[in-house]
Amino acid sequence: MCREGALHTAILRHVTDALNPLPDSPALPSHPVFTARGLSKVYHTGELDVVALNGVDIEFNSGELVVLLGPSGSGKSTLLNILGGLDVPSSGQLSYRGWDLTNVDEHTLTLFRRNCVGFVFQFYNLIPSLTARENVALITSIARDPMTPEEALDMVNLGNRMDHFPSQLSGGEQQRVAIARAIAKRPEVLLCDEPTGALDITTGITVLEAVERINRELGTLTVIITHNASMAQMADRVLNLSDGQVVKSRRNETRLPVRQLDW
Amino acid sequence: MLILPLDRKLLRDLSHMKGQMVAVSLVMACGLAMMIMTRSLILTLEGTRDAYYERNRMADVFDSLKRAPMSMAERVAAIPGVAAVEARVVVDVTLDLPAVPEPATGHIVSLPEDRPQVLNQLFLRSGRLPRVDQRREAVVSEAFANANKLQAGDSIVAVLNGRRDTLFITGIGLSPEFVFEARAGETLPDNKRFGVFWMNYRAVATAYNLDGAFNDLCLDISPGAEAAPVIAEMDRLLANYGNIGGYTRRDHASAQRLNDELNVLRALSVAYPIVFLSVAAFMVNAVLARLIRLQREQIAQMKALGFSSWQVGLHYLKFGLVIVVIGTLIGALGGRFMGGSLVHMYTMFFRFPSLVFHMDYSAMGLALLVSAVAASLGVASVVWQAVKLPPAEAMRPEPPTDYKPSVLERMGLAKHFTPTFRMAMRNIERRPWQSLFTIAGLSLATGLMVLPGAMSDSIDYLLTYQWNMAQRQDVVAFLTEPGSGSGFHDLQHLPGVISAEPVRSVQARLRNGPHSRRLSVTGMPPGANLNRLLDGNGRQMDLPEGGIVMSAKLAEVLGAKLGDEVVVEVLEGERPTRTAVIRGLIEDFAGIAAYMDLATLRRFMREGETINGAYMTIDAKYWDAFMRKVKDTPRAAIVLVKKDQLAAFRKTTGESIGIIRTLYFVLAVIVAFGVVYNSARIALSERSRDLATLRVVGFSQKEVASVLLGELGMLVLAALPMGLLFGRGITTFIITSLSTETVRMPLVVSLFTYTTAVIVVLTAAACSFWVVGRMLDKLDLVGVLKARE
Ligand SMILES: Nc1ncnc2c1ncn2[C@@H]1O[C@H](COP(=O)(O)OP(=O)(O)OP(=O)(O)O)[C@@H](O)[C@H]1O
Ligand SMILES: [Mg+2]
Repeated sequence: MCREGALHTAILRHVTDALNPLPDSPALPSHPVFTARGLSKVYHTGELDVVALNGVDIEFNSGELVVLLGPSGSGKSTLLNILGGLDVPSSGQLSYRGWDLTNVDEHTLTLFRRNCVGFVFQFYNLIPSLTARENVALITSIARDPMTPEEALDMVNLGNRMDHFPSQLSGGEQQRVAIARAIAKRPEVLLCDEPTGALDITTGITVLEAVERINRELGTLTVIITHNASMAQMADRVLNLSDGQVVKSRRNETRLPVRQLDW
Repeated sequence: MLILPLDRKLLRDLSHMKGQMVAVSLVMACGLAMMIMTRSLILTLEGTRDAYYERNRMADVFDSLKRAPMSMAERVAAIPGVAAVEARVVVDVTLDLPAVPEPATGHIVSLPEDRPQVLNQLFLRSGRLPRVDQRREAVVSEAFANANKLQAGDSIVAVLNGRRDTLFITGIGLSPEFVFEARAGETLPDNKRFGVFWMNYRAVATAYNLDGAFNDLCLDISPGAEAAPVIAEMDRLLANYGNIGGYTRRDHASAQRLNDELNVLRALSVAYPIVFLSVAAFMVNAVLARLIRLQREQIAQMKALGFSSWQVGLHYLKFGLVIVVIGTLIGALGGRFMGGSLVHMYTMFFRFPSLVFHMDYSAMGLALLVSAVAASLGVASVVWQAVKLPPAEAMRPEPPTDYKPSVLERMGLAKHFTPTFRMAMRNIERRPWQSLFTIAGLSLATGLMVLPGAMSDSIDYLLTYQWNMAQRQDVVAFLTEPGSGSGFHDLQHLPGVISAEPVRSVQARLRNGPHSRRLSVTGMPPGANLNRLLDGNGRQMDLPEGGIVMSAKLAEVLGAKLGDEVVVEVLEGERPTRTAVIRGLIEDFAGIAAYMDLATLRRFMREGETINGAYMTIDAKYWDAFMRKVKDTPRAAIVLVKKDQLAAFRKTTGESIGIIRTLYFVLAVIVAFGVVYNSARIALSERSRDLATLRVVGFSQKEVASVLLGELGMLVLAALPMGLLFGRGITTFIITSLSTETVRMPLVVSLFTYTTAVIVVLTAAACSFWVVGRMLDKLDLVGVLKARE
């Protein structure tokens, strides 16, 4: 009881002020960004139990770009959501920079998402009533050490569309605004769930270039889920999931720039 | 029973939105309950009254005079169009009740001894009628008996024409003439100090030297005959007998009060449902508009499967109809319950042999119809959208909604707005109608809270301020007969009298063109300072010599204005007819009155120092001594004690305002809660994706709730001032429709009333927001974001 309380406070302090994870954060260099041990997730829906994750052991390191592949229903999104603090595992351990993430309250998870994680989804989830700049400003108003919305939008090459509403932007542009919004807080982690799933190839490329640039320039640990195997070449590491387990993990000798990928 | 698949969908969808269904149904039910209640009360009061008038033969025409021989009654009976005549003796006497220091008034009506009553027949609740030849037996009115805890077998001391006499109560009764049982001109009944007594003709007539004569006449007009020519002929016949002039039920104090009440109910039975049902209609509209936006693809599917547009339209119309049926059922139950409790309130004012609540079932049918029309109007545009939606287009998701900077921002006011505040502003502006009707609904709720508070503020003002400002006397004493100057001298020298001002009041008919009213014209000495005449601004007015000053309401009914000349036909003495110029209008609150300078009036009447009574202030130390003396003074018939009048007024209005307050409080809370809940649910549904996004990027639950709250909060804040204005407006409407020739009220709304209304509405809004906030906490972040918009 007492131990747990202390832990909570420690994480809280860590997440809020001790650590705003920067690329080469010297705070806890010995730890990987994420460490998962026996991570499982079971959904209880009616009579049937669906095992979405089944004992995943994995580590993610600072500055890596990881691509997650796997058939539909293999548990990719489930894993990503748990990493990002949107969901909690049914069993197993997950730690962020050495701090346990499995037994924390909603408030701590909120702070974790606010300061450490950026999300990008297939459907851009921009707020239609706010302009591009304001969508980004949403984050910069609450994060601890954010970029300006202008800087963030410049990073995704949208410096000239800042005052447009989502309905006035193309799908690719909307997705890049979503990326700018995700990285404006300078997160240590960027999680992308099928970021190009709703886009054509050319548009997809511009989006991926933005992601790659952020990973390179800010050293953000980036995890991308995709169904497009050719994207594997842009990654440092490629993970294959099947039936809730990591079945294959491969490291690329060299990363190919997005432009040179073979679609 | 076979349930069609589409209806199964209807039921499932309904069960998913049951909170909103209930909220809308309840608001609708409030309006329907008011409608069913008022209509049922009308049915109850009108039905009971008509049956009572019919069964106990309420007269059509009334008249009082000084003294006419019985033979004249037969001549009146012979006038064509007269079906029946009841000639009687009616007098006011002073009663000495041991438990009440002040003298009370007994209104004695004679009963024929040789035959049963023809008109205004007594309804005997208990006991028996006075036996023939029994001079001291009396039946007493129920209201008075109850207030003074009297029953058959008790006795009471009365002063009949100067002689103290003990009356024995043989029974308790009621009469259609005294459904509203109060002294002439009194606003509310004071049953402790005013009662009706029925005694044998000979007993009363002998005491007042009226044996073989009568001073009061009631007529029944034959079916199909006109009252006006009968009255004209009767007035001609009785002209030499001190006739005051015949009048119909329209001018009969009790019948008029009952009528006024029915008119108020009629106005409310239309006004309330309109207001409530409009709000409900727009709530239905908002709920269904949202549902259809969510179900675009389903609509396309249904059409693709071969359902006709008409079937699809009907399907969505049924949502509205389910709300209507639920609303009507709840409304009927609510109306029945409210009507049942309000009918009890009416028994304080109106006395019937029995007043039993009758549900107006036709009102239920009407309610169903009216609310169905309201709901259909509410859903028509939305259902039409569903009907005309082409399947192919509907299969595609709705294009992203267009937004633009809000007006405030376009005006350049927005430099420092936070993004969440901008979201709120733009969302409100994008759905102006929805926002407007949320505001309208909340204004209604606020207004409903203001109304009863304002009513009681107005009554308070009337009682504590206005009344005391105008009426500064402690008592008004009237003599049984107009007396000479010595009468005033006698009154002045009663124990404890500090100051006294003489009053001369004369029965007269004031006429201006075709309009006329019968009333007493009061003469007052110059500079009278006890009964003060105040204008609309509370300033005291002089009584210019030769002119007349009257209630603004009287001028209104006479169709006259300041400076106009009116005809004064005096109905007493030598019955002179003169003209007088209206020199001032006074803002009074009960009855209609006209005043003249005492000397002018006396010149008018060609009389000396005649008076009818006096306004007096009494030294509190001598109060009991004064009252004891008055009770023993044969010539003092009526003593109106101001504090007793105030206390009676306060008690009766206090009780009815209490009931009305509770009722309106419940309605206001339901409407405030329902409207905010409905708007918050719709906002939550429309913006769940935005809100989930905010949660994902790291906003806390509280912060996300505050976005939703900001949007609704702005609407609530906009609604409050409008609601306060609306409350003031509806109070004005009700006070105006209550403003009859018998009762009027000033409009006063205290800060306390406004504050309470604001607090109650804010609290109800906060509660419903809290309920919706709980749903926000359970929002499935991932699920919402994974779904395609
Ligand atoms: N909220 C939920 N309730 C019940 N089962 C769920 C829920 N979310 C996911 N699942 C199940 O868990 C399993 C893994 O789902 P997940 O979304 O992680 O798959 P995925 O690999 O992302 O698939 P896709 O490539 O189609 O997005 C699936 O069988 C899915 O049906
Ligand atoms: Mg997925």
